[in-house]
Amino acid sequence: MNATGQVTDNAVMARVASGEVAKMAVLFERHHRALYRYFISMNRNRELSEDLVQDVFFRMLRYRASYDANQSFTAWMYQIARNANVDQAQKRKAEVVGIDEFDDRRAEPASAAPGPEEIAAKGQNIALLKRALERLPDDKREILVLSRFNDLKYEEIAAMLGCETGTVKVRVFRAMRALERVYFALQKEKSA
Amino acid sequence: MKKTKMKWMVLAGAAVSAMALAQDSENRVTVAFSNPNRPRVLVVNQVQGSVAVRGYNGKDAIIEGSHVGERRRDSDGHGGMHRIDQPGGMDITENDNTITIHGDFMHSSNITVQVPVETSLKLKTVNGGKISVEGVSGDVEADNTNGSVVVTDVSGSVVASSTNGKVTVSLTKVTPNKSMSFSSMNGTVDVTLPADTKANLRMRTDNGEIWSDFDVKVDGARPSQSIDTREGHHRIRIDKTIYGSINGGGPEIQLVTFNGSIFLRKK
Amino acid sequence: MTSPMSCDDAKGLFAEYWSGSLGEREEIAFEAHIAQCEACRRDADQLGALWRNLELIPAEEPGPGVRARFYDSLAAFRQGMESAPKRSLRDRLMALWPAQPAWQMAISFALLVIGVGAGYELRPGAAKIAPDGQESSQIAQLRGEIGNMRQMVALSLLQQQSAGERLRGVSYAYQVPASDTQMLSALLATVNTDPNVNVRLAAVDALRAFGSSPVMRTAVIQSIRKQDQPMVQIELIDLLVDLHETDARPELEKIAADGQINEAVREHAKVAMEKLR
Repeated sequence: MNATGQVTDNAVMARVASGEVAKMAVLFERHHRALYRYFISMNRNRELSEDLVQDVFFRMLRYRASYDANQSFTAWMYQIARNANVDQAQKRKAEVVGIDEFDDRRAEPASAAPGPEEIAAKGQNIALLKRALERLPDDKREILVLSRFNDLKYEEIAAMLGCETGTVKVRVFRAMRALERVYFALQKEKSA
Repeated sequence: MKKTKMKWMVLAGAAVSAMALAQDSENRVTVAFSNPNRPRVLVVNQVQGSVAVRGYNGKDAIIEGSHVGERRRDSDGHGGMHRIDQPGGMDITENDNTITIHGDFMHSSNITVQVPVETSLKLKTVNGGKISVEGVSGDVEADNTNGSVVVTDVSGSVVASSTNGKVTVSLTKVTPNKSMSFSSMNGTVDVTLPADTKANLRMRTDNGEIWSDFDVKVDGARPSQSIDTREGHHRIRIDKTIYGSINGGGPEIQLVTFNGSIFLRKK
Repeated sequence: MTSPMSCDDAKGLFAEYWSGSLGEREEIAFEAHIAQCEACRRDADQLGALWRNLELIPAEEPGPGVRARFYDSLAAFRQGMESAPKRSLRDRLMALWPAQPAWQMAISFALLVIGVGAGYELRPGAAKIAPDGQESSQIAQLRGEIGNMRQMVALSLLQQQSAGERLRGVSYAYQVPASDTQMLSALLATVNTDPNVNVRLAAVDALRAFGSSPVMRTAVIQSIRKQDQPMVQIELIDLLVDLHETDARPELEKIAADGQINEAVREHAKVAMEKLR
């Protein structure tokens, strides 16, 4: 049990692995929304994302025996989710239109960029931010979505991506810079 | 089973003596549902005549017929032999909470059944009348050929069709995630759903119109128009079939008519 | 005291600084750095504001069907496990073999035809990616299994007593790959033998996904005159027109001339012949 009195994900998955497959429903109820958000952020396709959510739960059912109860369930699940998404992306590669690569050079000098008080003018800025996020290259968007929306720990993301925890943190920083550039570019485009 | 003097032939399904029934009058019998652990189902197979079913506050099925069968069929009393020819009259059987009524196909007979509100229905007739359902909660299937189908005040799901009649269905509540379908060849399809129903739609009419007060989002991803190319002319034809969704989409709901119009109404 | 923090060192700490999860010592060192580095201070403030705003982007929610599909599939999965834990998926699918001879005939026929034509034309957009390396082939295998899962749910729903359930089975059919020949066979069998006209109509629509299959086209041409429902006949004719199936013309001609067939259907066949000229 964890602090809130719930049986932990790891414990539930361990029971699924030992044959109580009906318990997968518990994990579905806990995680399917977050998984959906991950997928929709990655591919902007509702139907495909819903399919992928199903796929993840069935990959977990089929490969339940390979679950290691000492491993973070969330990390394992997102690892599977990531594979499912990569798989789909390969399939759809031909359809993807080229996206401008945004490097992580520093943003325009502060004078040209709106100050924090302008950022504070929220409302449609959030919509703009959403669009900026959508325009980020996949790897940058993914790391932001995982760390910001899906509450994965940096250690878990590192395990998923197969790199050092420190590298993940630096990548988050770079992704944020890229996001800022796109965000301001969109804002200029809008005011122009 | 005891030899019965009833004009209606009543056969128990599995256990011969298990079926609880009472003949209230010449035109009316009451049949109990035998297994409370199973969902209640009423099946009516008519050839000639109408079928009317409505929910009431009771636990048995009350079956009435405007035309009673004129011949009896005895299942025993002849040395274990079965009668092979199919005489007229109505057959009623009950098995594991499913009551099945086979109408008299020699004569036109209108059947009226009162069932407990929570009962699923499978109703069919061919000639000489309409199928009407009112005030039940369950899965309703209704199939008519030459008459209309009218379903009102139903909660659950409905699959209804008529070849030559109108199909009018009004649901007070829709079971989430059930697929539904309504079709008619020559009649109008008129369906009323709760305002918050989520569904993906497929609607088709050849010679009629499609009307709705729902905010139907027409799905651009699926082809709803096709292009005819002939003798160098391009003609874009709006397809007879429209795919779309209401309230963000959900299970599939199909509305099909060829010569009638489609009305999809919000309750 | 360690040496002062460089901008490179700081890069690894921003994320935790923004979410306030830095350890005490790291936080002090980081703040010392941004106090004397204007560029990093700007990043800490400005990117930090964006970081916080990210949380305000509303979450997109999955549709209501996701839950139903999950529970359907879970039930099918459990059923498969319970009935025969050791049996292969193929065996479990075979267990769904219908009891009615009409179904068996229909499926056998379809499988036979498919057997002849398998391999090339039956695989329209499927598996175009060349698997490069082991991971890809594992993924391909996984995808196949998920496809089978859906197929299993669809096939089992198509066998249900209730027309509503069979309609759901048909809507699952939209989600299996167009290369799935068993699904195609089951849909053709539904079109030909399902007792409910609404289910048959839905199945005809689902057949569109299999448009490139010559087996499907042939089966559709042959199905029209077997149908007792004019609505289904008209939908089948329209399907052939949409697919530009010119091979349908001789059969359409027969239909147009067949006095036994509903007049509206015969008219439809005549129009279709014009379109397929």
